[in-house]
Amino acid sequence: MIDARTHAWLRPLAATFAGAVFFLPLYLMLVNVFKPSTDIVPHPAAPPVPPTMENIGAVLSRPDSLFTYGLVNSVAVTALSITILTVLSAMLGHYLARSRHVLAKVVMVTLLCGLMIPVPVILAPITSVLKTLGLMTTLQGLILVNIGYYVPFGVLLFMGFVKGVPLELEEAAELDGASRLRVFWQVVFPLLRPASASVLIFLGVWIWNDFLTPLVILGPDSGTTVTVGVYRAIGQHQSDFGAVFAFMFLATLPILVFYLALQKNFVKGLTGGAVKG
Amino acid sequence: MRRSMVWCLAATLAAAGCGVGGEKPSETSASGGDVTLTFLVFETPNLDAAFWDAAIARASAKVPGVTIKKLVSPNVDRTGYAKQLDASGNLPDILQSVNPAGFAQAGKLAPFTDEELRNFIAPKAGAIAGKVYQLPYNTQVIPVVYYNKDAFAKAGITGTPRTYPELLDVSAKLKDKGITPFVVGGGGADTWADMYPLTATVATDVYHKTPDWLTQRATGSVKFAGPDFTKAAQKVADLAQKGYIDPAGLSRSYADTEQAFRDGKGAMYPMGSWFATSADNTKPGFEIGAFPWPSDDGSPVTPTFTGGGTLVSSSAPNVGLAKKWALAFDEDKQNNDAFVKADGSIPAIKGYTPPSDMGPVYRATVDIYQKGMADGSIVNAFSQEAGDGSLPPGLADKAALGVQDLITGKKSAADFAAYLDDQWAKATR
Amino acid sequence: MTDIDHAALAASSAPMEQANSARANSAQANKAQTTRAATARAAAAPSGVRRPPAEPPRRRRPPAWRYRTGQSLGRFALFALPGLLAYVLFVLVPIGMTAYYSFTNRNPFNPPTRWVGLRNYADLLGDPEFHQALANTVVITVIVTLLANAGGLLIAMLLDRPTKLYLALRGVFFTPVVLSSVVISVIWQAVLTDEGLLNSVLRGLGVADPPGWLSDPEIALYSIAWILTWQMLGFCVVVYLAGLQGVPRELREAAAIDGCGPLARFRNVTWPMLAPALTINTVMLLITGFKAYDQIQVITNGGPGTGTTATMAFQVVQTAFTGNHIGYSSAMAAVMLALVGTVSVIVLRVLQRREVTR
Repeated sequence: MIDARTHAWLRPLAATFAGAVFFLPLYLMLVNVFKPSTDIVPHPAAPPVPPTMENIGAVLSRPDSLFTYGLVNSVAVTALSITILTVLSAMLGHYLARSRHVLAKVVMVTLLCGLMIPVPVILAPITSVLKTLGLMTTLQGLILVNIGYYVPFGVLLFMGFVKGVPLELEEAAELDGASRLRVFWQVVFPLLRPASASVLIFLGVWIWNDFLTPLVILGPDSGTTVTVGVYRAIGQHQSDFGAVFAFMFLATLPILVFYLALQKNFVKGLTGGAVKG
Repeated sequence: MRRSMVWCLAATLAAAGCGVGGEKPSETSASGGDVTLTFLVFETPNLDAAFWDAAIARASAKVPGVTIKKLVSPNVDRTGYAKQLDASGNLPDILQSVNPAGFAQAGKLAPFTDEELRNFIAPKAGAIAGKVYQLPYNTQVIPVVYYNKDAFAKAGITGTPRTYPELLDVSAKLKDKGITPFVVGGGGADTWADMYPLTATVATDVYHKTPDWLTQRATGSVKFAGPDFTKAAQKVADLAQKGYIDPAGLSRSYADTEQAFRDGKGAMYPMGSWFATSADNTKPGFEIGAFPWPSDDGSPVTPTFTGGGTLVSSSAPNVGLAKKWALAFDEDKQNNDAFVKADGSIPAIKGYTPPSDMGPVYRATVDIYQKGMADGSIVNAFSQEAGDGSLPPGLADKAALGVQDLITGKKSAADFAAYLDDQWAKATR
Repeated sequence: MTDIDHAALAASSAPMEQANSARANSAQANKAQTTRAATARAAAAPSGVRRPPAEPPRRRRPPAWRYRTGQSLGRFALFALPGLLAYVLFVLVPIGMTAYYSFTNRNPFNPPTRWVGLRNYADLLGDPEFHQALANTVVITVIVTLLANAGGLLIAMLLDRPTKLYLALRGVFFTPVVLSSVVISVIWQAVLTDEGLLNSVLRGLGVADPPGWLSDPEIALYSIAWILTWQMLGFCVVVYLAGLQGVPRELREAAAIDGCGPLARFRNVTWPMLAPALTINTVMLLITGFKAYDQIQVITNGGPGTGTTATMAFQVVQTAFTGNHIGYSSAMAAVMLALVGTVSVIVLRVLQRREVTR
């Protein structure tokens, strides 16, 4: 107990220091969003006094509406992808977790392999498939690719959770005469809420931040996503850090808010829903 | 949870049905035309969205029946992006300043006829198997040595060097005063920005003697590992080894490199002639001069690249109109004025004269080019070539990476030359 | 019976389940997963949910659907097919195409495509660039996996207190996980260039010649690995925190009473309980390391110099899109996939075994 008291001041100090050092690069971006571009190169780390909204205003009022169009597309693609993904991977995860068939194991292994593939490596053939289906340069095509690519992750998370749901629950409901689908929706799926939160957050973040897939699949004439917009802003402005940082800041804000909104469930999701309190 | 999901779906389905931002054609489609053509451009601080929109509108006004839909490359590497688009079957109908190598051989581009090229000064520039796929609309001198007159004065240097030994002399004097002689970039994704000293030494030590050296390399009668090219590479290695080139530049992006020169972090900036207008438009705190990279004995050598204009896809909905539009775009006097003012180009259009109000650095640059034309010292600019007698696809990038090794001393000149021979074999396998 | 199945289990609910079973079984922390007590399962379900009727006798009876093929097919079509279809179409088919291309000289700019057998693979064996990309990927993956795991654990232990300060700091550490790699790359580029923030600080501290974090070929790879570590650290922190919260206080106190010092307590009590968290983190970090592409594309373009920071993913994309050698790049991709698959199965096996036996 004695050592605990002597270290009492050490912990908050060490934690705050580590946090501050870790946060420095983010601070660098944050302050420069609110600084006139001319101040950034000479004083990159100075606080923005007085703060200016000039950079943010410039991004929002771009004549090509790169940000606003990108935002609409990003929201549509991300929301649709993760909603469908949550449903599909919950069902698939449930199926695989409950199935004792050898094939289920094979499917599982195959899915796990898919988790390790970097998108760039298979992007070219993916576009051939999309072209065959006539879905190239459409948001629908992009959403379908997202679903196919991220389904393994969702399944992985959900499978573990389904195993934690007592089988008795489902059987009881079935005895009551409910259909399989109803049992799943009304009994199992609500129990998986923490896992759903994890899946929603992770896939939301990944899909929102993905830049190569939308860049190639949407092509230049079907609009773009905010993350692709960031990439484009970098090329255009090059050393105009104010404009680039402001664009990055705005592009990150929605997903940050989304994360904060689901954060509580998310930690529960990772920990199997058994955290006390 | 379920209800909110349903809402989510309903709300977003509507949005997904029609992607935003793409459907509406560019504001620049002045005339409501019969055929819509896509046009791939790229944006830089100088060539911004407003510049392209205005230039497109002027060309469209001259070619009725064409509506242009502007596409923007996500970064300046529009060739890479065009390849990606092509791989997914979406090659734009008209493309600006994309390297035609590969596209042309695969029959994806429409060649221009001699008749169509009659207004161009060098109608055969960049020809591939005798056919021109990219309008040779401008010439660039690559590189010109831009220098900081203040720094030169501080080091007690009065004239510009006219021979290579004099250049070394000047560098030594600058270094004695604590001034880094050369600013060379090439960091981040802009690896290509480190090529300019080598492009210069290859011009003076290889191309000056053997103008068609690269064509000979393609047939295998010369090698990079031969004495001429190795000597050119050795010069760059020596500059770095003596501390005349600061390896710090290898972490600077292209924009940062220009900024470093403007900030006085080095006295000489070997760069393409497009830097001229940038120097005139945004003047640093010192005067900038220009001189050509000198050869050993002082005989003039002027490495240039002519081409870089617009290309037309052979699968455009109306190739004839697309070509007409591309020609209108590249030949338009105002468009060329805009290119000159924004990007320092030297238009290669017959009868074209640049605006009279151009700044001193641009005029000094054009002087170097015109002197080169007059004394017949024009040669190719290594790694910038297009068409027959150019590097195989991907090799220019490899060369730029190799130059970084040359500057850091990781590769000797001989290693570097051997590396290029290896890469050539690999690229043409 | 494969371990993959367990991986799935571990990748989500395992930490708490184990914590619960540990609570139930006192010091015998890690009982074999297969015999995990049903009580633990029930406890894992969130409160406020309908409790199952207490009818234990039916437990052993196989579910009804397994008896009727027609029904089981319908179930498959309803539950499994939609997800699998998307996966097959957009992952398996492309992998198959890649495998096929790897036996050809496919080059969209140099038709026709011919079958070349194993030539691409033979060329790979003697390709120093590919070997270097392989080595770089391994270096990055190993550094990121070790550093982010160790750092994440350390910080998690530091933050394992329920007050506001620590909750806020948790958010700070997690933020990079939410940011896109492009954004992170741009920020770090601004910090690490030769005239960047870090070096101006170092110069201010009197370091005359600070290192070229991105321009020195000897250092650049480690800078990239560091950036990836920074990006993933928050993820590890959160997962370890979740794991730590599952370590029952009584256990630690019991160990303290038995006379264990803080180190021994960590080794004997906390660390074994964190095994599932370690599995999740390691798997995620391996994936991150092997996939490393965006940061290299934005920050170094594979340089400085030839291939000093080129990873396998980067090399594949370069060969395919800049060099137009789709056939050759497909062979690279195939080797990469085989390698990545093997490594992950081995790592999972080792980690799972540790979870079960310790």
